[in-house]
Amino acid sequence: MSELEVQADFAARAGQPGRPRRLGVAETAAGVLALFLLVSAVAPHLVAPGDPLGIDPLSAFAPPTRAHVFGTDESGRDIFTRVVHGTQYSLVIGAAATAIGLGLGIVLGTLAGMLGRVVDFTVNRFLEVLFAFPGLLLALLFIVIFGPGVATATIAVGLSTAPGYARIIRAQLITVRSAAFVEAATVLGRTRWQILLRHILPNTLAPLFVLATLGIGQAIVWAATLSYLGLGAEPPTAEWGALLSAGRTYITSAWWMSFFPGLFIVLTAVTATVLGRSIDSRMRHA
Amino acid sequence: MAEPVNRRRAVLRVIGPMAARLGGAVFVLWAVASITFFAVRLIPGDPAQAVLGGPGSQASPEALALVRNEYGFDQSVLVQYLAQLGRLATGDLGRSYALNQDVGPLVLGQLGGTVLLAALALVVAWLLALALAAWSTRGGLVAARVGSGLEIVAAALPHFWLATSLIVVFSIWLGVLPPISTGGATGLVLPVLTLAVPLAGFLGQVLRESLLTALESPFVLSARARGESERGVLWTHALRHASLPAISLSGWAFGSLISGAIVVETIFARPGLGRTLLNAVTLRDVPVVIGVVMIVAVAYILMTLLTDAASRLVDPRLRLA
Amino acid sequence: MRRPAPTRRLLAATTGIVALGLLVAGCTPTDPNEPVGEPRNGGTLTYASGDAEPSCLDPHVGGNFPQALVSAQYLESLVSRDDAGQIIPWLAESWTPSDDGLTWDFTLRGDVTFTDGTAFDAAAVQANIAHLQDPTTLSSTGYLALGKVASATAVSPTVVRFTLTEPDSALLESLSQPWLAMESPAALERSQDENCASPVGTGPFIVQSWVKQNAITLVRNDDYVSPPADAGHAGPAYLDEVIWRFIPDSASRYAALQSGEVDVIDNAQPDTIVQAEQSDSIEHLDSPRPGAANRVELNSGRAPFNDVRVREAFIRSANVDDAVSSLFQGTATRSYSALSSVEATAVSNAALFDYDPSAAAKLLDAAGWNESDAEGYRVKDGVRLSVEFPVSTNQSIPAEQSVFEQIQATAKETGFEVKLAPMDLSSWYAALASNDYDAVSAPYTKVGPDVLRILYHSDSIVPAPSGYFANLAQVSDPEIDALLTTAARTTDAAERNSLYADAQNRILEGFYILPLYDQQNHFLLRSNVVGLRTLPTVAVPTLYDAWLNR
Repeated sequence: MSELEVQADFAARAGQPGRPRRLGVAETAAGVLALFLLVSAVAPHLVAPGDPLGIDPLSAFAPPTRAHVFGTDESGRDIFTRVVHGTQYSLVIGAAATAIGLGLGIVLGTLAGMLGRVVDFTVNRFLEVLFAFPGLLLALLFIVIFGPGVATATIAVGLSTAPGYARIIRAQLITVRSAAFVEAATVLGRTRWQILLRHILPNTLAPLFVLATLGIGQAIVWAATLSYLGLGAEPPTAEWGALLSAGRTYITSAWWMSFFPGLFIVLTAVTATVLGRSIDSRMRHA
Repeated sequence: MAEPVNRRRAVLRVIGPMAARLGGAVFVLWAVASITFFAVRLIPGDPAQAVLGGPGSQASPEALALVRNEYGFDQSVLVQYLAQLGRLATGDLGRSYALNQDVGPLVLGQLGGTVLLAALALVVAWLLALALAAWSTRGGLVAARVGSGLEIVAAALPHFWLATSLIVVFSIWLGVLPPISTGGATGLVLPVLTLAVPLAGFLGQVLRESLLTALESPFVLSARARGESERGVLWTHALRHASLPAISLSGWAFGSLISGAIVVETIFARPGLGRTLLNAVTLRDVPVVIGVVMIVAVAYILMTLLTDAASRLVDPRLRLA
Repeated sequence: MRRPAPTRRLLAATTGIVALGLLVAGCTPTDPNEPVGEPRNGGTLTYASGDAEPSCLDPHVGGNFPQALVSAQYLESLVSRDDAGQIIPWLAESWTPSDDGLTWDFTLRGDVTFTDGTAFDAAAVQANIAHLQDPTTLSSTGYLALGKVASATAVSPTVVRFTLTEPDSALLESLSQPWLAMESPAALERSQDENCASPVGTGPFIVQSWVKQNAITLVRNDDYVSPPADAGHAGPAYLDEVIWRFIPDSASRYAALQSGEVDVIDNAQPDTIVQAEQSDSIEHLDSPRPGAANRVELNSGRAPFNDVRVREAFIRSANVDDAVSSLFQGTATRSYSALSSVEATAVSNAALFDYDPSAAAKLLDAAGWNESDAEGYRVKDGVRLSVEFPVSTNQSIPAEQSVFEQIQATAKETGFEVKLAPMDLSSWYAALASNDYDAVSAPYTKVGPDVLRILYHSDSIVPAPSGYFANLAQVSDPEIDALLTTAARTTDAAERNSLYADAQNRILEGFYILPLYDQQNHFLLRSNVVGLRTLPTVAVPTLYDAWLNR
């Protein structure tokens, strides 16, 4: 199992009919946060009009005040501005990594789920091999070969999440394939690819959207971890992991430098989880 | 049918799949070794240079030639690959470029620290998750919401942020717990908590869902009807029922702990596999990276074999599958 | 030239000497533990290093700073250097060069034995030099330092003769470095693995055990007799035992010091130093490293910095003073010299490095960079004024990387587009080797002014087999070459100093480098650690005089 499968599994079970819907307040809060994050990513100047790279050495290391709600960093840059402007980096990295992981997962999962036993067996062995590099291991191996940096870190995170997606998609395909309406279509003489396009994919895509929402939070955390370890984005890029990594140096005297970027990472991941589940449960009830 | 044949079939039914799995495990190991071997060929630069301390070391041409010969870099890729497989088959993981040491003993020496850390974190995570799940399933809607919220937040906490926050609060502000391991038990508290809290968040979610399902199941209803106390129902029936998904999660938890150990061991200055791996990655110390990856792969495969066997023992239905 | 050079040179030399006097006076370790009574024997001191854990405890192998830090506790060199920069006796009592400078006879102390019982004698020195020069040792730093040494031979048990291929005025300075320390020849006979794990020297401590990625345990050498001439006491060390730990995370390291888990930390960050100075329980020891000052080198080998006006414009457009004072919070002093302030031969010239954006703008106009594009960057012939600046995240501490960010921000106002590219060590060396940089900062530690020859002689543009070259500013000036070559052969101190002063002035006036500050080397220690000092050679701490006031 991967972290994602645990999440997906949970979402599936929490979405079962008959369960009390208990995400009302949380859903609303998550929605507001998601909106805030989206605006920050698309039009950061609306939220924080300042220059995220504008230095002001004389007001360095200022604790949170009304002028600088999240305080300032070692060069006097406003942390709130940097965190807001960093949203786009983190979200883009998270989304790109998820797209890579999900894309690979769809390819592998579809191959395994649709092309019969031999392909299924081969893909499964391949996935088993990938699973033998748990968590960040695959990402680290990738980075040692292609060198650190934002692009490699993003691909690395995408790669290491791909096997999880692939397995979920394969299982999903097999379930849908054996469903009554698909069997009916087979009886009606539709080809395998027709069935895949008309019946199976539409029924698999909606859960994929949930998976992607859940996965993006995880991808952001992992990409931030790589940045924190000095293998991803580098300062002065305002990516959250890089901000946190820069703040770590001054943790004993300026806690706000790492606290607020970390808070945003956590909030984003929580938002993604809550939204993913909520969408899932709504779709099941619809 | 005669009795012995039946028994033999039953044994075969257990041994057969296990043998297939062992074969699969060997295959996975071979594949991992091959992938890592050919992947590291893609690394630009001269490995002999890496052995001599990287490009900044101003190594002499004589020293470079010496190293190329000693490490076999001057041989063909196929020869090097076969030699590598041969060495791996005999348990020889090669020699570190940067640490002037054989990889096998180095990695094995670091294994203990990580295993101790991960095992403690797993236990603590289970205790936390159990406590939270038990409390929130019995405490009504508000408790359920609070429990669920806590679990989601805990599961979203990045290790590096949690670790630094714990150090700031408990070591720097309060001064009650040491920020580094000093060999004593107190030095373990913060690293274990860092690993355990996010894991507990995940486990708690799964566990609570299983508990809820179990508590609504017929056997719990009948236990209630027999007049067993709520606590008795929860601990003896529901939790046992909920243990199955928990066992199947252990493989994943293992991977998650290994990832976490990379961060935790670096921040808390603990010796272990994670820190070794990160050092090796930053130094591009290929043999050590391969060594750690192989050890983790072996451990992961053993873990899946074990959980598989454990699931089969707990749930007879799986034996037929 | 806008001003007559000779006047400026004289002015520079004077400023330099005045600045030096101040700095030498200021660099003595602050010792607030004055009235503490008699030193006490015993106890275990825990040292936490932020440097990488060495892969080999024998500094002959490779030869980097982390090795120097720990090996100074158990290995000793032939000579040392005092606070004034004078070479002083250590394992060698005296030395005499021949008139042609090609033969040096060192007379050794006769009463010293290695901690494995082997006698320290001329044969031991001969074996050590041979070990350093043997390619299978894989020595880099020591090997380079012995570049002009043809051989060392034992003349008598207490006299060893060094034969040189050409005169070397830096020989004593080279030999004072920890990377050329003396080890037991019997121990060197063992396999390299064994010797790396437990090198044997004559020092005040003995390597007892080394648990990788955890700690090195050192115990007192009870038979110790050979402290350097400037040590605080004689006889064995006070401490029973030293635990040498590696804590790479700076926050964890400081927290460990605060909580008393460790007694001394190195690589202290500016903000923790400021905190410590307000604290009664933690003291600060500031000991800049010798050799080159930290500086930004401008690649004069390619456009745009092949034009001296553009180099000067860049230097004038960078507001380094504000950056240093905000980021280092008073813990680092701005440098205007190519050399570290601990080098007696350092020449400083502040006037060359004033922040002056309007002068910078005029210089750029004069150099033909007189147009601006939409983003405000200067343009010439359709090309933007860009400066590729690869930054090694291993070699530049976070505060230094922030200095570069601030230089980037202030240089932008004049129209420079500084492209900071933080990268890991391998990529960084690759960028340098492929000449894909315009500005770079690389620390270089070496005892004495001979570091100038390594960094600025045109021979150093020729890459080593690894692709590495030390002259990153790509200074190719026959006059500088001549000054540095002559200085390296000149043993007369006054003449040598004046040659190095001339060379430095020429380097500074050519605007090849933007000096920042000395190589920072800050230690924080618990107040009950008394007597800790650094060796004035490469500024590594020595625990020989240290004791615990508990």
